[in-house]
This record gives sequence, structure tokens and C-alpha cells, in this order.
Amino acid sequence: MTTQEPTNAENWAKPVDSLHIAHDLPDHAINLNVEGKRVASMTSGFGKMWQKTYRVRLDGARVAPQQVVKVWKEHFPEFWQKGQHFFGPMASISPGDVALINVKTGGVKLSTGILVLYADDVSFSFMTPEGHMFTGMITFSARELEDGVTQAEIVALVRAQDPIYELGMMTMGSGAEDRQWLHVLRSLAAHFGVEGKPTLEKICVDRKRQWKRFGNVRRSAAIRTVFYSVTRPLRRKEKTRASA
Amino acid sequence: MDFSADVRQIDGLAVIDLHGEIMAGADDALTSGFVRATTGNTGPVLLNFADVSYINSTGIALIVGLLAEARASDRRILVSGLTDHYKDIFEITRISDFVTMCDDEESAAAAAKA
Repeated sequence: MTTQEPTNAENWAKPVDSLHIAHDLPDHAINLNVEGKRVASMTSGFGKMWQKTYRVRLDGARVAPQQVVKVWKEHFPEFWQKGQHFFGPMASISPGDVALINVKTGGVKLSTGILVLYADDVSFSFMTPEGHMFTGMITFSARELEDGVTQAEIVALVRAQDPIYELGMMTMGSGAEDRQWLHVLRSLAAHFGVEGKPTLEKICVDRKRQWKRFGNVRRSAAIRTVFYSVTRPLRRKEKTRASA
Repeated sequence: MDFSADVRQIDGLAVIDLHGEIMAGADDALTSGFVRATTGNTGPVLLNFADVSYINSTGIALIVGLLAEARASDRRILVSGLTDHYKDIFEITRISDFVTMCDDEESAAAAAKA
């Protein structure tokens, strides 16, 4: 057994039993499905496993990969589509951070989150909690291509976490996710003065559905968020009655 | 430091000795090592990390991809030689749920027979 520390230990999140959001959130943020949740195992989802790679060349921008990733980490929520919210720490993205996500995907409102698993000067990676629409890891990175152009890249290695999400991903969810990340890359390119033309490559890593994971549906963040939204007026009424 | 993967057999167990840094460029060598270890062999595979000096998040994604491939063919995967730090990473990512974690090759060989 070896015990020496690797050179990049500080780039990784420390082990945690459950997730906790350590920063303040705005009043309108819906904080469900993150606090106290465990990180979802990367191979424990239900659906087919996909590797999706989104890329954009920053032609004409004289910018190093390190600078691209620095900006990406510092302004991450600003590159998202309108109506999709990432509530992370104010400063930047660092290993071990837990951020809240409020999104609308495939017509369904969802409150969920991510753990920043890894971050260095040319990349950072997120993992999802149990109940998120997919289990897996998303890595955001930049590198210099052989022709000297810097390229920004998002690689998602994911599988739908339960049968409902799998159905959603087969119909509208996957397209919504693709639009989101392609939008992020276009926005990132625009930040550097480039009209980006992002591309998408999809590879099915594992075609088998894991039927023994059917029960993941009981942790579904979408179901919990829908239930929360539907019962909100009742809670307001109760609150008003109690304070009267 | 580059990455390479050597394959050998010990007592019916296919061992992939991983050398160097597991990051973006390791994809081809890792896949090729896995193909060599599994061609004509339906048994378990041991990934030996004793000579791995560095893994980044892209490297972890490559390992997850390999596990998905192994799972697709119902193949058992064992790992050995991880530093304490990377054992933690395997715990955080819960890769440890899907592999048999062993301290060394000898205990992996024994676990493979169990």
C-alpha cells in the first residue's frame, strides 16, 4: 500500500458524507434536493450511459486556456441560458464547493445541485447528487489545439438517474441539455469577442439500462420539486393563518 | 510523464499495470490495455495503480468509461495500488461501489478467487 500525496491533491474535493451549501442564497432560490444528499454514484444510474462532448474553437481570440478557464470559473452562472440559475459561491469555483441549480428542463422545474469534484487551472468538474436528472460527471476545460487556437470543451459522462428521467431524456430532456451547454459555449466565446460555432459529439458508452436501479425514482428531484411547487399555495395559506 | 498500460496474467487473473499519469491523453493506451486483457478472457480484471503518479478528473472519467464497458459484459473489476488520496477519490465518486478495492496484487488475486 502506498501513502504518498499526489501532486494535485488540492485540486480534488475532500470526502464528504453528505452535501451542504455553505454560501448564502437569494430569497427566490428553491433549495431542495441538495442539503444532506449524497453524491450520486457515477455508475449507478438507470439509463444508457452517454459521453457527450461539446466544443467551441475560439478563433481569433488570443487567449490562453488558463485565462479561459479562469473567466469560466469566475463568471460561470452568467453564461447560462435565461431562466436557468446556478447559485454558486460568489468568488469562483473551487474543489468541494456545493452549488444550487434551479432549472427548467423538458418543461419540468427542477431544484438540484452539484459538487465541484475537481478544479485546476485548465479544467473543473462537477458531480451530481442523488435525485438529479442524471448521474455522472461533467468536465469543463480548455486547451490549445495544434493550430494554436484555444478550444473550450464540455464533456458530460452521464446516464439518466431513473426511468422517468430516461424517458424525459429520450424525448425533450437531452435536447434541452444540449441547448444549454451549446449556449454556454457560445456565451463563453462571445465573452472573448468570438462568434462561436459549438459542436456536439455523442457516444453511447453503455447501451444497457440498469433495471435494478428502477427504484432510484423515489429520490427524484423533479418529483420532489413538482410536489413542492404544487403544495406551495397551501403552505402560504397555512403561514398566513398562523401569523393572523 | 506519458501513460502506458501493460497486460499480464497471474493465476487466471488478467492484470493491467498502469504507468504514469491518467489524463486526457491516456485514452488510447487505457482502452487498448483493456481490450488486450479481455480478449479471449471472460474472467475478472485487476487494474494495478501502483505506478500511477497522477490522475485528474478527465482520467477519472476514462476509468468510469472503462467500468461501464466492463459492466456491459458483466465483468468484475478489481483495483490495487491506489494511494490513500486516490482511494478517497474513488470513495467520493463512488467508483468504489462498483470495483473490489484491494491493497495489493496478492490480496486482489485472493479476492478474485473468492
